[in-house]
Amino acid sequence: MIVDTSLFTRWVKFSPSILITLLIVPVVAGLLGVILPAFGWLPALGEETVGLRGFEALFATPGFVKMLALSFSTSFVSTFFAVLLSILILGNYFNSKLLGHIQRLLGPILVIPHAAAAIAIGFLIAPSGLIMRLFSPWLSGAELPPDILLPNDPCGFSIILGLTLKELPFILLIAMAAMQQKEIKQAIEGQYKVALSLGYYPFTSFCKAVLPILYPFIRLPIYAILAYSSASIEIPLILGPNTPPTLAVAIMQWFNDVDLHLRIQASAGALVQIMLTLCVLFTWWLLEQCVKRFCLSSLINGRRTYADITWKFLTHCITLLVLFAIVLALIGLVIWSFAGYWSFPKAYPDQLVTLHWQSALQQLPETIGDTILVALAATGIALFLALFTLEAEQQRRTQLSSVASLMIYLPLLVPSIAFLFGIVWVKEIIGVNAVFSMVVLGHLLFVMPYVFLSLATSYRKLDLRYANVAASLGRSPWSVFYSVKLPQLMPPILFSSALGLAISFSQYLPTLLLGGGRINTLTTEAVAIASGASRRISAVYVIIQLLLPAFGFILAWLIPKLFFRPRY
Amino acid sequence: MDPASNMLSIQNLCIYKNESHLFTLDTSVLAGEILTIMGPSGSGKSTLLSWLSGMLDPAFTAEGKLLLGGQDISQTPSHLRRIALLFQDPLLFNHLTVSGNIEFGMQASKSNSKKQRISKALASVDLSGMETRAPKSLSGGQQARVALLRVLLNEPRVILLDEPFSKLDSQLRQATRELVFEQIRQRGLTAILVTHDQSDADAAAGKVINLSNTRSA
Repeated sequence: MIVDTSLFTRWVKFSPSILITLLIVPVVAGLLGVILPAFGWLPALGEETVGLRGFEALFATPGFVKMLALSFSTSFVSTFFAVLLSILILGNYFNSKLLGHIQRLLGPILVIPHAAAAIAIGFLIAPSGLIMRLFSPWLSGAELPPDILLPNDPCGFSIILGLTLKELPFILLIAMAAMQQKEIKQAIEGQYKVALSLGYYPFTSFCKAVLPILYPFIRLPIYAILAYSSASIEIPLILGPNTPPTLAVAIMQWFNDVDLHLRIQASAGALVQIMLTLCVLFTWWLLEQCVKRFCLSSLINGRRTYADITWKFLTHCITLLVLFAIVLALIGLVIWSFAGYWSFPKAYPDQLVTLHWQSALQQLPETIGDTILVALAATGIALFLALFTLEAEQQRRTQLSSVASLMIYLPLLVPSIAFLFGIVWVKEIIGVNAVFSMVVLGHLLFVMPYVFLSLATSYRKLDLRYANVAASLGRSPWSVFYSVKLPQLMPPILFSSALGLAISFSQYLPTLLLGGGRINTLTTEAVAIASGASRRISAVYVIIQLLLPAFGFILAWLIPKLFFRPRY
Repeated sequence: MDPASNMLSIQNLCIYKNESHLFTLDTSVLAGEILTIMGPSGSGKSTLLSWLSGMLDPAFTAEGKLLLGGQDISQTPSHLRRIALLFQDPLLFNHLTVSGNIEFGMQASKSNSKKQRISKALASVDLSGMETRAPKSLSGGQQARVALLRVLLNEPRVILLDEPFSKLDSQLRQATRELVFEQIRQRGLTAILVTHDQSDADAAAGKVINLSNTRSA
């Protein structure tokens, strides 16, 4: 056996272990850092007796059950709606050019930070928001903004709206990516044709012949969405109620409270949050089993249609409504950012000013700089580790084990509120004071899975014959990697980089907690401003939040065209 | 059955791909007959079947009429045409059992009578007792027979065969072909077979059209 001991080969060999360690250690340490205080052990505060007082205080919190109910219902209902809408859109536009157009229109929504999306939706649905202005007074009759608590309604409808609009593009794009894989594409297109030729109406054909094949491919992403939304912070913080808020928001508030003893209650809450997330996942699993049991007989009952025409009409209406809401939210943001005096119910401001942009841009350079630096560092490390890990796979000729693959997604599956505070505590115990590095590490936990996922397909599809030819011509493994594989992978690498940057730009909790207020990014600033300051300044922040990832994706699209196109 | 009631007429059909002419066809098939379409790859055989089934790819355009039993169905959506397809891959649903796959093709009726018909049909193609088996556990020839039953028990008026025997080995090919043709004739179905293989055309014993000869109008 030939053993290559070059530095590159050694790095490649250890990369998978480094990558997995880098993801597991903070999550496990973070979880431990929450479990011990949850049971009352917090020596820094003189609490050294183990007990259940954290849980007792938690259960005695006014509105605790309501918090649980709000977290559970908003995450479950929003995911249910997002999945339902995705099925309607996929089923009714299957094999149609419209699906591609919808994908292109909804795709950019995916990279909009949750905080930005929440602020934009808040602007839209508020009593003095753009929707109310467009329909007042000619339809609503309102001369003054109506007295409705929107957003921040106590039932969490605004949270459900926000989460659904953010989750819908994600599920759609995951499903469409699966549908474009060669084997799946052949299978579903063939079976759809079979169903049509046997007399099934188009949407029924999709539900009976395509969906059972497709669902397993979107199942894990749906579980990730459920886990995320049950513990998300930004959307419930901006759109949700405060009397009480969702459990995750309450935990964050307790952790950040000046009364440090609330940390014990917060840690107990973090463990309850994990249970709640598991409960949401289990309920979804139960729903799947019910649907499976109920639908198996209806698959073969011979019914060719289930009101296909009504569903199609409904899908057209919902799709238009979603696109209308998105476009209106974006237009609203731009108008608010330039609005001077703007009285209700006018749909357009009395005057347009650049004042808000000027003042924001004066305050922002340092924040934008920090945002970009953290994102570049986290994405750079993620890219480096992902590429080397994938190269290790090719050198070993075996893919990562399923356990290792699952570990890569661990930070997405474990509620971040449950382990990030633990990391802060561990950091304090071991006396790490490197704020920038800690923030980068925090971002890396969430950037890594996306970068790896987006690179893996392309890397694993590389035609190895090119590398073999180069090796047979005497090129070293590093040279083959650098001069043969990387140029072939340039477009996916750039796309993954843009995705990594976008994910980093959108992080709120890791920056807030691990930065300890010493590093601020656009997202932390935008959330802070959204809670009270001017709607106009907020709009400017959100637009810049949208422009940064968009700029990354434009670069990822332009660079291969400018520098890597074939020259004749 | 009156052979004219299920007569399929293709009238003045011209298929274009990105505005360039692909082929022209004007023919008809009576019930119980098998029309064989031959031609080299790219001549438009599968495109013809797509047009007949109402699933023409948007890259193609078509002029001409399709009449079934004298009724113009050119604009009828595919699911209402009662024209069933049998592909070269069996395309059985892996989320259903063998019985479920056949039941999928059948019209809505009482479950008991369906089960009896399925058992009888399976027995007729030497697949007795296979009702609860997973499609993946069957051999290629067995899968092809299940796919055939799924189409036949759907009771279509026309059956389109898109090289359905091409992936079978020669011995199995001949047996499956005989079974398919026999069933088509017994049931008085109108059938169009697309194939590369002259022996398929000979066994069909019907009219043969070579699409490479129909390129000019």
